[in-house]
Amino acid sequence: MSIKIEKLSYSYTLPSGEKVEALKDITCSIETGDFVGIMGPTGCGKTTFIQLLAGLRSPTGGRIYLDGEDINVRGYDRNRLRRTVGVVFQNPEYQLFAATVEKDVAFGLKYNGLSRSEVTGRVRWALETMGFDFEKVRAQSPLALSGGEKRRVAIAGVIATKPKILIFDEPIAGLDPYGRRNFLQFIRGMNQTGTTVIMVSHNLEALAEYTRHLLVLEQGRLIDSGPTREVFARLQQRNNGAFGQTEAQRIVALLAEGNLALSSAIITYDDLLSALKQELNGGGAG
Amino acid sequence: MKTLPTGQYIPGDSFLHQLEARAKISCLFLLIAAVLGASSFWGYALVLATISTLLLLSGLPIRGAVAPVRRISWFLLIILLMNALFFEGEAVLASWGIFHLSRGGIEQGFRVVGNLVLILILGNLLTMTTLPTQVTTALESLIKPLKLIGVPTEEVAIIISVAIQFIPTLLEETELIKMTQIARGARFESKKLSERAASFLPLVVPIFISSFRRAEELSLAMEARGYRKARNRTKPKKAPLAPADYTALIVCALICLIQLLWRG
Ligand SMILES: Nc1ncnc2c1ncn2[C@@H]1O[C@H](COP(=O)(O)OP(=O)(O)O)[C@@H](O)[C@H]1O
Ligand SMILES: [Mg+2]
Repeated sequence: MSIKIEKLSYSYTLPSGEKVEALKDITCSIETGDFVGIMGPTGCGKTTFIQLLAGLRSPTGGRIYLDGEDINVRGYDRNRLRRTVGVVFQNPEYQLFAATVEKDVAFGLKYNGLSRSEVTGRVRWALETMGFDFEKVRAQSPLALSGGEKRRVAIAGVIATKPKILIFDEPIAGLDPYGRRNFLQFIRGMNQTGTTVIMVSHNLEALAEYTRHLLVLEQGRLIDSGPTREVFARLQQRNNGAFGQTEAQRIVALLAEGNLALSSAIITYDDLLSALKQELNGGGAG
Repeated sequence: MKTLPTGQYIPGDSFLHQLEARAKISCLFLLIAAVLGASSFWGYALVLATISTLLLLSGLPIRGAVAPVRRISWFLLIILLMNALFFEGEAVLASWGIFHLSRGGIEQGFRVVGNLVLILILGNLLTMTTLPTQVTTALESLIKPLKLIGVPTEEVAIIISVAIQFIPTLLEETELIKMTQIARGARFESKKLSERAASFLPLVVPIFISSFRRAEELSLAMEARGYRKARNRTKPKKAPLAPADYTALIVCALICLIQLLWRG
């Protein structure tokens, strides 16, 4: 499922009749099976962008093609789109409503034309993928679970339809470091089984380590895009890294001030570690 | 997609914005009485003309001012049908079992829905041209006499104005939840009534929960900010009513009076 975006723009209309341009003239593409990160400051239009990608808003300008088909033309099968593109919004736990965890997770499968046992199979798979014991939680009320469990049930409800494209809006915001790591591993796992993943995040380390391509938004414009490493290297040049510098990049900059010059290609902690090892082995005290 | 939030204050310096909040709220009540009192063609013509004039005077975009009506259009349609089918009026046109479609019923339906629409627009005009804090203070001073019979007027005023402020937040949240459920397959916009009905619960339950969560957050925030008893708060000074306020009050009272006279 490749996505092509052409001159996409979107404006909100306020009650006063005023227009807010949330996205301006965005052109880019996302390949099948890719892991794409979207970064940018709050209010730059990330959430609006993914709502458009999922067909939940109609663009005020430009087009979005899914496998070559314009998703906003009359007659495009919206219901198929819903099954193809899964979205995990910020605070996904707010979507829970059903009497039991099983029913809630099965909600999206209602119109999939699956048999009863197939539905149960899917629900079991989704809940187990999210780390639950299916038999234990299936009859519980989703509203009585803890905050973290609610979130995982909600995500199970999204992946249950096995969408080919999975979009996450700031999924790790508010998680502790352990939960963050677990969650990122889960997303990577989904990606490795062939799902195209799009992840909005403020966590530059997570973006640097997990994504393959990056889209950088600023005030509704796409200011940079490309392979993650290249984008981070370029962002470092821009404003001297005031915007979009990973911790590892910051450490490299500090070391450079202390006369220890390391490669400018260092983005993640792993890069930094191996560069330092090399430095110690090769150069010695030099 | 419907993205227009409603019930929010829109800054401006129109005639309506400049009226004192107490005068505006009193006018609102007088005009609601006039709407409810209207019974003849001329009665409705008068309230329609009044509301149109107010819309013009408010300087607000028409679309924004009537947005709440569009939002609940489904509900209004149901009210219309219920009245048309269950009201036992004269001139029955058709019957199916317990349903009777009569001219009286249809008229009754249109009257009820018409009244609701007009009142909604009037209420929206108030909240779009008045700051929530102004509404609270004004309400508080308007219902002050009730204090004599033991009503906790300050608390009541706060409750009413918090409720008014809640509306836009709730509508926004409804929009988000609706989107979330659509993304996972709910069919709010389906042509099949059964599919629409099936998406009712996924919308209503989260909204209900979120209102409680909001209410709890708000009460915690109010407590944290030191809100305890209203009488300990410092109160903004009351502005005197200007000539324009008196004029507005007199005009609204006259409209109300005319309605009562026309009713005979
Ligand atoms: N429902 C809305 N109505 C009006 N403006 C909105 C609405 N949602 C978002 N915006 C505006 O659009 C811009 C982009 O918002 P958003 O997509 O939420 O950004 P991000 O997710 O990057 O923080 C912001 O300026 C925001 O104020
Ligand atoms: Mg956002």
